[in-house]
Amino acid sequence: MGRKADALQQKSPAEFFADNRNIAGFDNPGKCLYTTVRELVENSLDAAEDAGKLPEIDITIEEISQKRLNSIRGISNHDRLDEELYQDHETDEAKKKRLAKEAKELEKLEKAMTKKGEGTAAVDAKRKEIEARRAAAASKATKTFYKITVKDNGTGMPHEDIPGLLGRVLSSTKYGVKQTRGKFGLGAKMALIWSKLSTGLPIEVWSACRKQAFVSYYKLDIDIHKNEPNIHAVRQDANLNHWQGSELSVTILGSWQYYRAKVIRYLRMIAVITPYAQFRFAYRAEDERNSVHFCFVRRTDKMPAPPTETQHHPASVDLELVKRLLAATKAPTLRAFLTREFCNISDVYARRLISEMQAGVDAGTSPRAVSASQATRLHQILHEAKFADPSGSHLSPAGEYNLRLGITKELHPDMVATYQGDARVLDGHAFVVEAAVSVGGRDIKPGINVNRFANRIPLLFEGGSDVITRTAAKRINWASYKINQATDRVGVFVSIVSTKIPYKGAGKEYISDDMEALVGAVKQAIMHCCLQLKSKIARKLVAREQQARRRNLARHVPDAAAAVFRVLRAMADDDEDEDGAMRPPGPKRARLVAAEDLLAPVRRGEVVEATLARKLTEHVERIDTDMGLEYQMQLGAAAGARVAAYLMPRLPQHGYGPPLASAACILRLLQAE
Amino acid sequence: MSKLAGKKRPLDAGEKAILATKKKIKGTDEVLAQVDKLCSLAKKEPARAKTLAELHLPQACREVIEKDADAVLDEVEASLYTVAASILRGEGFSYDVPLRTKGNQMYVPELDRIVLKDACGQRPFANTQTNRKAVITTRVLGLVHELCRKRIHVTKRDLFYTDVKLFQDQLQSDNVLEDVACMLGCTRSSLHVVASEKGVVVGRLTFREDGDLINCQRMGVGGKAVPPNVDKVTEIRSDAMFILLVEKDAAFMRLAEDRFYNTYPCIILTAKGQPDVATRIFLKRLRDVLRIPVLALVDADPYGLKILSVYMKGSMNMSYDSSNLTTPDIKWLGVRPSDLDRFNIPEQCRLPMTDEDIKTGKRLLEEEFVQANPAWVRELEIMVTSKVKAEIQALSSFGFQYLSQVYLPLKLQEGDWI
Repeated sequence: MGRKADALQQKSPAEFFADNRNIAGFDNPGKCLYTTVRELVENSLDAAEDAGKLPEIDITIEEISQKRLNSIRGISNHDRLDEELYQDHETDEAKKKRLAKEAKELEKLEKAMTKKGEGTAAVDAKRKEIEARRAAAASKATKTFYKITVKDNGTGMPHEDIPGLLGRVLSSTKYGVKQTRGKFGLGAKMALIWSKLSTGLPIEVWSACRKQAFVSYYKLDIDIHKNEPNIHAVRQDANLNHWQGSELSVTILGSWQYYRAKVIRYLRMIAVITPYAQFRFAYRAEDERNSVHFCFVRRTDKMPAPPTETQHHPASVDLELVKRLLAATKAPTLRAFLTREFCNISDVYARRLISEMQAGVDAGTSPRAVSASQATRLHQILHEAKFADPSGSHLSPAGEYNLRLGITKELHPDMVATYQGDARVLDGHAFVVEAAVSVGGRDIKPGINVNRFANRIPLLFEGGSDVITRTAAKRINWASYKINQATDRVGVFVSIVSTKIPYKGAGKEYISDDMEALVGAVKQAIMHCCLQLKSKIARKLVAREQQARRRNLARHVPDAAAAVFRVLRAMADDDEDEDGAMRPPGPKRARLVAAEDLLAPVRRGEVVEATLARKLTEHVERIDTDMGLEYQMQLGAAAGARVAAYLMPRLPQHGYGPPLASAACILRLLQAE
Repeated sequence: MSKLAGKKRPLDAGEKAILATKKKIKGTDEVLAQVDKLCSLAKKEPARAKTLAELHLPQACREVIEKDADAVLDEVEASLYTVAASILRGEGFSYDVPLRTKGNQMYVPELDRIVLKDACGQRPFANTQTNRKAVITTRVLGLVHELCRKRIHVTKRDLFYTDVKLFQDQLQSDNVLEDVACMLGCTRSSLHVVASEKGVVVGRLTFREDGDLINCQRMGVGGKAVPPNVDKVTEIRSDAMFILLVEKDAAFMRLAEDRFYNTYPCIILTAKGQPDVATRIFLKRLRDVLRIPVLALVDADPYGLKILSVYMKGSMNMSYDSSNLTTPDIKWLGVRPSDLDRFNIPEQCRLPMTDEDIKTGKRLLEEEFVQANPAWVRELEIMVTSKVKAEIQALSSFGFQYLSQVYLPLKLQEGDWI
């Protein structure tokens, strides 16, 4: 059939990503909404951190119905003339069926109401279910659009660069050996492509750099075929409030209904890992009642040190990269090239490497004079030679302090333990694993709840085969840390930072589980946290047992007393029988009775079941008091006497008291004068 | 008709093989010649096996004995009397219960069985960990007291239902029952508590159960249920030359229906899988009284061997009573891994072993009782390396009666047991 000659076509990167949207996480309308929010938020975080400012990010999602979108787009809304033409047209038969079904359900509901009474939980739930189903059926037909606006206080973008930064796929300021949130140079641009595909509306951008007198405004979209920005409007407004930062606004097709929980969870998790940022979130629905807004407040102003750019580790470079570096370097000699462009190569080591190459080059050869075969040899030697591991000092983990704060502020757990592992190495890239384990808290389900972070962004999808999920579920023996895997509310938070995260799958949603170094580091980090928690949990269990002990011990007193007394009674009756028809006591018992006769008091009615029960209760109470005392003694010995102390600000009416000297320090107490 | 059909249709290879093996079987007397030798060997053995006390082991061991109702009553009363005295003194109460954990058990090669060492655990009432167990122990002691006074037997299930609220589940009352038996130094059946009957016996055997004469040759195809309280069995008589221990009900039924014991005088016994206490005691009694060899017919898989080991060496759970429960000298007649090839058992009847099977097999290889018998080690090694297992039923592929008419007679004739 190939009559028409197969014309050689070329695709622009933008076209490629428009065709393969799932690679960047734009699978379906719901996921698109989620990913757009996520990409914009992460760009904003990066911008603010680059500026060295505490991030302040406002996220607004505005629901736009098809009708309103049409009026925005300048298309008039038409009434349907031929109803049967439309997909959501309901045939008479289907309508009859639906109405019958609804009537049946209503009848059922009424029956339940008369039976159980109006307002019972079951009836309410049923009614809600019916309403929700009707609403879902109604919304299925109509598409909903969302205008997503994200505003930050970051570096802002230079006026001239804005079209290039936003309107060209695979352009990024973040290429290089550095730990960054974004990586592909895709995020915001994919949102742009998606808006173009789904609504056709351009993106709006406001931005101001530091001390810039004007605010740049652009209205632009992307020419997918050419991978070029397409500017609709541009102007410069006066920057009256000395604002710095950027604001992006994009209108896309989405689905809030199905991805609401994901968006909120994402924001909550990013608030956990970046407690120094403030996130204000607002969802404005067409129907005011469905609007949501909340704020994740800042809890600290201590930001982790920003990640620094580092040189390539010799073990991590590929042949093409070696050639590119050789071509691009400013170093005059091969020796200088090796020491400057790579980490962990000293001057002496560079000389040794070059002489080992035996490829006709020496230390003084200009990098540009290196031939292709010599470059291949260099690449080979770089992979074969021994180098020290990258130090990891260029990485920027969240830090135990921030992790703990974030978890405490968002989940309010009963206890948290955190741990930061040492830098380790995977294929020449350093990585650091941090972990936190929390027990108890708000809005957390019973069981192990895993929260994954990669380069300080939360990963929410495809958790099943992720290294963190699998490690938490399979490789940790929770019971040995006195944690009940099924009933305790456990939060596991693991954050991996690296110059190259070993993602698996196109969507970059999970990290592969087959790297021993990574698995080991994750396991070790979680285990360290658990170990910290173990003693705390044990102490709590003991305290709980202390409280319940008396009740627990007393519970079975009647059982024990009854069982013992019944046998005692039987023995007494046996012996009373003078006829000899009943059996005589056995030798063991006879000896015991001879030593101490209990049966006579039983026969006289002096010892009854209640006597035994009373004696047992007394004993249990005495033991309980003893053990309680002992527990308090141990507690006192371990914790010392505690006195609540308060620090007072020093005011004019205060003065320092006389110095109190001790072996360790001298104290002067504040006193009111 | 059949003769005609036989002439017309040539036999296929399989049928020829069966016919050939069938021809090898000689008359009943010749078949039993080897069994007879084994029988006389068994009779020559000393009547009484060595006991623990004779061994003078460096380590103290605990063993229980069969006690009559009065002796048990005295023990129960003595311990509860002590408890009552302790309560009245205001000291609460506590039991010294022998530990039945794995760490407190050992294999004694001289006796060829597992025995219990003498470590004891405290079970005080006024301790949250042991409180419930102490109460359950008291309750069980009280119930045993009642049973012994009335001289009646109940099942473990009955016992559990007397106080479901306290015991919570049967495992707990069962466990404490074993503890109590251990503590009082008597067997579990002396406590007048039995497990519901599971074993079945058929063949050349007569005995009296609670005075009633039982003839196991007239028990139909189903056989006689092994009495749960073996102490009521008296006057065991038999003219059998051996006891055939069968793992499974299906094989047992085949042999019973074919009246295998009429042709070859024997007693056929099965516990339908993992043997219960009553069947083990019964086998031990038969063996001690009749002094005839025991031949075992089990599946050619690790599980079959495991069952055999329970008959022979005892289980971990009941090690305190191993002297009354184990019959050390059992011969492994079949189906052995080497039989699979010897009898040309077709591929479709052989099952691949699961990882779990192989693991169990390897673990068995390390057990001392297996290592004590080089022939067994060889068979197990065949099984583990070929990774194939087969059930007794695999023999049915040659016809349902192959087991009773060909396989067993041939095995007996050749004296092919290890």
